[in-house]
Amino acid sequence: MKAYKMEVRFTILLTALFLLAGNVALVFSIFPVQGNLFGFPIMYIVPILSGWFGILFLTIVANKVGNRIDEEIERENGLLTSAETETGKQKKSHSKEGA
Amino acid sequence: MGEEAWQLSNPMLGIGAIIATFVLFYVVGYISNRKSSSVTDLYVAGSSIGPLTNGLAMASTYMSLATFLGITALILQLQVPFIMLWIQLILSIPLITIIYGTSLRRMGAFSPTHFIRERYGLSASIIAALFMILVSLMYSLGQMIGIALAFETVLGIPYMTGLIVGGLVIVGYVTLGGMAGASNNAAIQMVIIALMFIVPLGAIMKAMGGSGWFFPPLLYADMVPAMVEAMPNFFDYQFSPKWYVSLIGLTIGSLGLPHLAMRIYTASSLKSARTAMVWFAFIIGLVFSATYAMGFVGVYATETQGVAISPADADKLTLILNLVYNPEWVTALVIAGAISAGLSTLSGNLLAIGALLSQDIVSVLKPDLKVRTRVKLGYAAIFTGGIISILLAINPPAFLVVSILWAFGLAGVTNAPLIIVGVWWKEANKFGAIAASVIGGAIYIVVSPFVFPSIVLTGHSVTDGMGLSGAMLAIPISFILLIVVSYLTNRMPKLSAMLTAKEDHALIERIHGWKDVHPGRYNSTIGAAITVVFFTVIAVWAVMPWNM
Repeated sequence: MKAYKMEVRFTILLTALFLLAGNVALVFSIFPVQGNLFGFPIMYIVPILSGWFGILFLTIVANKVGNRIDEEIERENGLLTSAETETGKQKKSHSKEGA
Repeated sequence: MGEEAWQLSNPMLGIGAIIATFVLFYVVGYISNRKSSSVTDLYVAGSSIGPLTNGLAMASTYMSLATFLGITALILQLQVPFIMLWIQLILSIPLITIIYGTSLRRMGAFSPTHFIRERYGLSASIIAALFMILVSLMYSLGQMIGIALAFETVLGIPYMTGLIVGGLVIVGYVTLGGMAGASNNAAIQMVIIALMFIVPLGAIMKAMGGSGWFFPPLLYADMVPAMVEAMPNFFDYQFSPKWYVSLIGLTIGSLGLPHLAMRIYTASSLKSARTAMVWFAFIIGLVFSATYAMGFVGVYATETQGVAISPADADKLTLILNLVYNPEWVTALVIAGAISAGLSTLSGNLLAIGALLSQDIVSVLKPDLKVRTRVKLGYAAIFTGGIISILLAINPPAFLVVSILWAFGLAGVTNAPLIIVGVWWKEANKFGAIAASVIGGAIYIVVSPFVFPSIVLTGHSVTDGMGLSGAMLAIPISFILLIVVSYLTNRMPKLSAMLTAKEDHALIERIHGWKDVHPGRYNSTIGAAITVVFFTVIAVWAVMPWNM
């Protein structure tokens, strides 16, 4: 269940972060700020920068995390398969002993 | 400068640029398509596209003609709020990839409808497919309007003639191509779009005296003081937080777009699909930022430079700026770029219609159909879809982006909840899916200004027309119906006997990569309850006064 929890948590967390990074304007509409950054009003340029570089950064994170979760699921699948093989072997040896 | 008819004085320049672009696309399409003989090849290119090509193709399919023509028009109309609206549309591919794209790729799905059929059964998938066809048609409509406008500007011909000539040429191209041709072409188109949009923008900024012309997407701060002086409210947010919350409906809508999700299935592997997502974010961020700059420059030109643009010409803003500030051959290249942007999106839309009709409806109802007949049927559907979008564009809405964004909302109501909940919650069933799609879709259509102009939520024409208000009401209703109806019917013995719960559970586990079925996975009642409470609050908020 470790990989499953990891998958669900990261999907929810990354979705929330993506929504936040892409909707900085919503935050500013609730909490307006004054002032300039790089010559533009903050409430104009920060959503644009976050909507490009913020999202780009998150896709890099999502790429790495997604691949890691796949590996973790494969690992747990592997454990399951080896446990089944082990049980199968034990059953065989028990039946041999019985015979 | 007064109002005038904006067109190239030498149409041959425009025609030459368009023909050269088309020859390039036909050659690439022909070479790529020689190997395309099966249905899989036609729609998902044998799942063999690499990450950079796929990332470029994703960006190209998504960007559409709206980037060249539509967005700048609405920046002229709404100023900064429209830029804020557009920013979050970058979330589409990243969210599709992390929420369900890789799962559907693992399943080997042709289309989101394919998943809906496996997950919810035949009836639900046919309803979803019909809605998706409507979504694709509305999306295509926006492209057709833009293509007609581009041909109008090149040839100085009436809109209607431009629509028929341009529309038929493009529908012919897409019908003769396939997804392989489209993917390779879309990658080339993306490069062309970026060059033909950003470089001329730099030249316009230089002609206006802007010092940041060498990197137009972000370096126009020196023009800000003059803009604020001429138009003090340009940077105002204008609307309440509720309007900005409603934008998330577009994000959810983008998750339901069939032609976009199909790009993930063309990836050669899951890792490749994720890497394509990174390329997509980089490229689309670059071009989106350049579009905001073009919109800014357009408003700047009208407010400080005396360039007069009539409301009817708003969608031509990018072309007009080029006609005013750049040599004609540059405008010819920009028009060719705009047409290639429309071409790549129309390819995606029409191929999605082809796949939906032939694979998801006809083949399901008549499974004995021969493969060759199915491929032929696909081509026929692609062509018919193109012709319908031409016919719809005869009497277009005021802004071409309106129909595109309305389509986003419809996809968000009728498809996205079925896919998202279907991938993540085992209890979701066909009764919930059908209720969500039909009732949610009907509510969205009823509150849009296109059917009953008097039944709208805000009375603000652009907000209602783009489907922002309708989506804020109908998307939550769709999620609530899907969850509540599924939960209740699963507990009614007569109805639950008609479900295939065991197979559905196995499917969900398999598409997440699991080899076994564990009852504790993807089965949270608390998660479903929280979702219902959250969306109920949003739906109630949506019907309260908007005060716009």
